[in-house]
Amino acid sequence: MDLTLSTDQRDLRDGLRAFLRDAWTADRLRAAADSPDLDRGAWRALADLGVFGLEVPESDGGMELGAAEAVLVFEELGRALVPGPLVATYLAAALLGRPGAATGATVVTWADRTAPVQVVEHLAAADEVIAAGEDGLWALPAGKVAGTPAGIPLDPLTPVSHVVELPAGDPVGRAAAWRDRGAVLTAALQVGVAQGALDLAVRYAGEREQFGRVIGSFQAVKHLLAESLVRVDLARAAVLTAALTLDDPAAGDLAEAVAAAKILADDAATAGGRCCVQVHGGMGFTWEVLAHLYLKRAWLLETGFGEPGVHAERLADRM
Amino acid sequence: MDLRYSDEELAFRDRLRAWLAETLPQLPPAPDRDDWPARRAYDTAWQARLHAAGYAGVDWPAEHGGLGASPTEQLIFLEETARARAPYVGANFVGLLHAGPTLIVAGTDEQRARHLPRILRGEEVWCQGFSEPDAGSDLAALRTTAVRDGDHYVVNGAKVWTSHAEVADHCELLVRTDPAAPRHRGITWLILPMDAPGVRVRPLRTVVGSSEFSELILDDVRVPVADRVGAENDGWRVAMVTFSFERGTAFIGDVIESRNILAEVARLARATGTAGGTLWDDPGLRREVGRLAAEVTGLWALARKNVSEAAAGMVPVQGASVFKLRFTESRQRIGDLAARVLGRASLAMSDLPGAGNGRLVEDRVNTLSFTIAAGTSQIQKNILAERVLGLPKEPRWTSP
Repeated sequence: MDLTLSTDQRDLRDGLRAFLRDAWTADRLRAAADSPDLDRGAWRALADLGVFGLEVPESDGGMELGAAEAVLVFEELGRALVPGPLVATYLAAALLGRPGAATGATVVTWADRTAPVQVVEHLAAADEVIAAGEDGLWALPAGKVAGTPAGIPLDPLTPVSHVVELPAGDPVGRAAAWRDRGAVLTAALQVGVAQGALDLAVRYAGEREQFGRVIGSFQAVKHLLAESLVRVDLARAAVLTAALTLDDPAAGDLAEAVAAAKILADDAATAGGRCCVQVHGGMGFTWEVLAHLYLKRAWLLETGFGEPGVHAERLADRM
Repeated sequence: MDLRYSDEELAFRDRLRAWLAETLPQLPPAPDRDDWPARRAYDTAWQARLHAAGYAGVDWPAEHGGLGASPTEQLIFLEETARARAPYVGANFVGLLHAGPTLIVAGTDEQRARHLPRILRGEEVWCQGFSEPDAGSDLAALRTTAVRDGDHYVVNGAKVWTSHAEVADHCELLVRTDPAAPRHRGITWLILPMDAPGVRVRPLRTVVGSSEFSELILDDVRVPVADRVGAENDGWRVAMVTFSFERGTAFIGDVIESRNILAEVARLARATGTAGGTLWDDPGLRREVGRLAAEVTGLWALARKNVSEAAAGMVPVQGASVFKLRFTESRQRIGDLAARVLGRASLAMSDLPGAGNGRLVEDRVNTLSFTIAAGTSQIQKNILAERVLGLPKEPRWTSP
């Protein structure tokens, strides 16, 4: 048993972190919030780093790594608030071998047929839509899916479209693996969102002065931030364990690990996003401070691959 | 990274499982909670069995008579003993987890030889005399004095929250030996024999109704200078060694216990009839059970991550505080959930016929102490904010 990162894993994470810090600056995020069309050049740059091909066999140009590496990478993507249908494109490459997904040539989004209302992310930018039913998966050319773009999406970096009817499409696989791996990767994004929100809030609390002192020296503020830290650390351990269980299902209880990871990561991100807004005070309610982007992304991701209540019922059924 | 135990670790686990399966049925019934001599006898008899089987002092180095187990083997030991519902460390807690490890690090050869084997064999029970009525979270404010008189110290003062004081043989005692020094520098760590003249034990009744700890009143108690651990006025540093043990693996077995309690609550909910069904038909209740199950799963993942980091030589300050904060809070929520399922049966701490209430209700009340003992949640949050997040300290108003 070893839950510490190897040197290679640390290098993978640190390399991506440095790249994203330069590529997705605060100014870049602000610009994207006002003009949210997906930047295909940025998408290709991610693919060139190997982000979508992490679990693709080396013979197909991938890195042949596992879910453990994937959650390290997705945490960094969440932390940097990178926009786009990251999880769907990743799964299309890793599980379905969809052409062009790993190389960044094809942008893949997805729709959940079991949801009562169909709202699809990044539909206008996508080349392909994977529709997931109770058991099966179907691939549809994005052009065949008629959607009405929402005038004002909740997350300014994630355009969404309302879809009334999903056409049939070609069967391409089973939904179970898609949903499990998708929940863990989404949870990894959430851990990153929570960490990013905490970093921003801690920085502000260390700079902003009131009553002649930085506000981060007040226990009332410290405790809010410490509570965020606790939620992130707990969620990160759960997500890592879920990923290791995906890589080696006999080493644990996969259904339990997946559900716990999504529940705890959603909690870390949504509560952490709120904390970030709150610590910024009035500025946290403005568009120019990035705090709202973390919370809105957290709210968005919370709805994907099973909201926490659904996962909680699954855990209860197993007791 | 991987989740699997090695072949050696699996062999260790299997031997332990076999021993527990053979030994636990031979144990006498657990004693009444108010019968302290019987509790001491029960706890030390268990320690003697562990010693005879080679499991005493799992985390102690082999050169001091312990098992010298790796952090992962320690995790397995705590996991398996909790799963099998083996007796809790009980009266042996301070000796095995505080005083013994402190003597190993800071004691003299003579002190080690006198105490360590007896602690491991279950022949010697220790208690802790650190906190005082006016020195709780602010431990360095302690005022119990020790004045040198020849080859003895003369100790006067009062200590509080001392578990097992009625039946302990020795007390790890922090005293002030230099009132003029800065407060962290005038403290000394002493071994106090509990039968010394002038030691008075006044049991405190807890909210559970029993007396789980006592106040110690010390009137001109003479302690030989030879029973000082570490240098005079260096007791704060010696005590911090002890705390690093307290915040390490202390709660790992309790995570397993949390899962057991949650399973019991789910079983009760399924068995409790309502008009037209059972309590389990309530999706709100099921979701709360599920969320708490996620907490327990996450805490176990975090415990394993902390243990992995300890095995890799990292110091788990962050992991230990994070774990304590979240574990203690979850445990209290589980108690509230149990009460919700029990309904009006939660109004009795003793068993009502067929209700399965007693242990759950007592546990709910008892867990009030979890967010207070060994560093309150508020102190833990200060530690995380200042030491991990790097936020500035608040101005300290310290006693002179």
